[in-house]
Amino acid sequence: MFRGALSIWGRDMLVLRRSIFSELIAVVAYPLTLYLAFGFGLKGYISEVNGVPYPLFIAPGLISMTAVNAAFDESSWSMWFHRKVQRTIEEYRVTPVTVYDIVIGKIFSGFSQGAIKGAVVFLVILFLTPFRIDYGHLPAYVLCLAISSMTFSCLGTICGTVIDKPENIGRVQSVVIVPLIFMAGIFFPLSSYPASILPLIRLLPTTAVFEGARDALLSGSIPPQYFINLVVTAALCFALAVYTFNRKMAE
Amino acid sequence: MTHAIALNEITKTYDGFKAVDRFSLKVARGTVFGLLGPNGAGKTTLIKILTTLMRPTLGDAFVEGFSILTAGKEVRRVIGVVPQENNLDRYLTARENLILHGRLHGMRASAYNPRIDELLEMTGLASRQHDFPDTFSGGMQRRLVVARALVHEPRVLFLDEPTTGLDPQSRRALWEHIRGLRHSMTVFLTTHYMDEADALCDRIMIMDHGESLADGTATELKDAFSRAHVLQVEFRDDGAGYAEKLAGLPFVRSVERNGATFHITLTGEEAIKPLMDSLAGADIRKICLKEPTLEDVFISLTGAKVRE
Repeated sequence: MFRGALSIWGRDMLVLRRSIFSELIAVVAYPLTLYLAFGFGLKGYISEVNGVPYPLFIAPGLISMTAVNAAFDESSWSMWFHRKVQRTIEEYRVTPVTVYDIVIGKIFSGFSQGAIKGAVVFLVILFLTPFRIDYGHLPAYVLCLAISSMTFSCLGTICGTVIDKPENIGRVQSVVIVPLIFMAGIFFPLSSYPASILPLIRLLPTTAVFEGARDALLSGSIPPQYFINLVVTAALCFALAVYTFNRKMAE
Repeated sequence: MTHAIALNEITKTYDGFKAVDRFSLKVARGTVFGLLGPNGAGKTTLIKILTTLMRPTLGDAFVEGFSILTAGKEVRRVIGVVPQENNLDRYLTARENLILHGRLHGMRASAYNPRIDELLEMTGLASRQHDFPDTFSGGMQRRLVVARALVHEPRVLFLDEPTTGLDPQSRRALWEHIRGLRHSMTVFLTTHYMDEADALCDRIMIMDHGESLADGTATELKDAFSRAHVLQVEFRDDGAGYAEKLAGLPFVRSVERNGATFHITLTGEEAIKPLMDSLAGADIRKICLKEPTLEDVFISLTGAKVRE
């Protein structure tokens, strides 16, 4: 079971291995720049948020952002490229693998890319800056990161499946993904929001991703409401990704 | 069971348009079957249905006894597919493309590695196996797609316009590979090229508008259409004086003139003698019965108009 998914995931990891250095340089540059610009540039103005030094406050979110962005990018562009440009999805579909194998293989590729890139950004921040954590908190943080990457990988798979024009994938990123990420309190505390909209913001899956990640890294546990939000969102996105891909292939 | 492929009243409709209409067909095992038709005839739709990429609106089809509706996975286990476009993975080397295909078929490395070596030798790509397909010519890419379709030793091979866009040398080379497969598996190919069908196929079906128009060996199809009685007459002079005279004869259906050469289509076999009588005394260099080509058969069945 899932031998096909494993083969497709293996193919994607082989391709990633070939270009790992150029990929990582590109991936590390963006969050590191944000960390240095905000963490150090604003340190003189914002020393602490809720008792947490500002560079430490933004670091978990930046690492999570790298992971979920990488998961979304890999899944959406890879699915679109294999479906519309290379047409390799068609080659997979004339072998005994099922559409579930294909979609699960692609989701795991996105998840793996997210996990690898997030981990590298984490190490770079750890190496280059005074950012330090309690390593006993890592399991909770990695769990949060894994569920978040899975969710974004599923969302990317849905976009790569239903969107035919590549520019529209970029638009979804700009109009949906980036605002959802930035609204979720990576750079500022959620208490900055007016009390009237705060409950809505807390319900956003991205809030669960970034607030959950911060709490996991700083306190070693994911608050239950965020954990439930993460798991339910991941399960829904997975079911939707499989359903969407199945329907598209049946057209 | 003697049939590798059986289609029972397959219909495929897209938004009210019938791409295939109650199409039935049986292909015997070990034959090379050619499906000919102009663009939009329904050939690719049929291949997509038979390879489980598309479900028919009505009817069912069987490949090696497995239903495309209820046993798609089993169908895909026994087929190899060469699609119209080269869908190679440009981020994998030639060998890695074949390995991935073997893995998707659940093969172990001990099974696919020797088979891949054999196929790379057969297709003349052994020395380029570690190169990426982007660096290959169109003919080499096509041979690699054929090799990929054969990794798992399919019982039925589907080739959708396998030589479109290739130069004559590459076409001939690919024909040789396809000929080499004859009798070891059933080959189902679609093509626009009449010479290709003539050279490769044991049986040919011409289809248009989703329906079968003619079916048989190349010789049978040509024989069936040789009743057209086209005579080629070449005059020593320019023959200008004969054009009007020939066109006016009651047993002549049409006259096409190319310089001193006339192509005369008669109404029937019985018109040959009166034509000879009419041409008595004419200064003729050559006169012969023009044998129809498969292309003549194709055009007479599907029409000469260019399709959108």
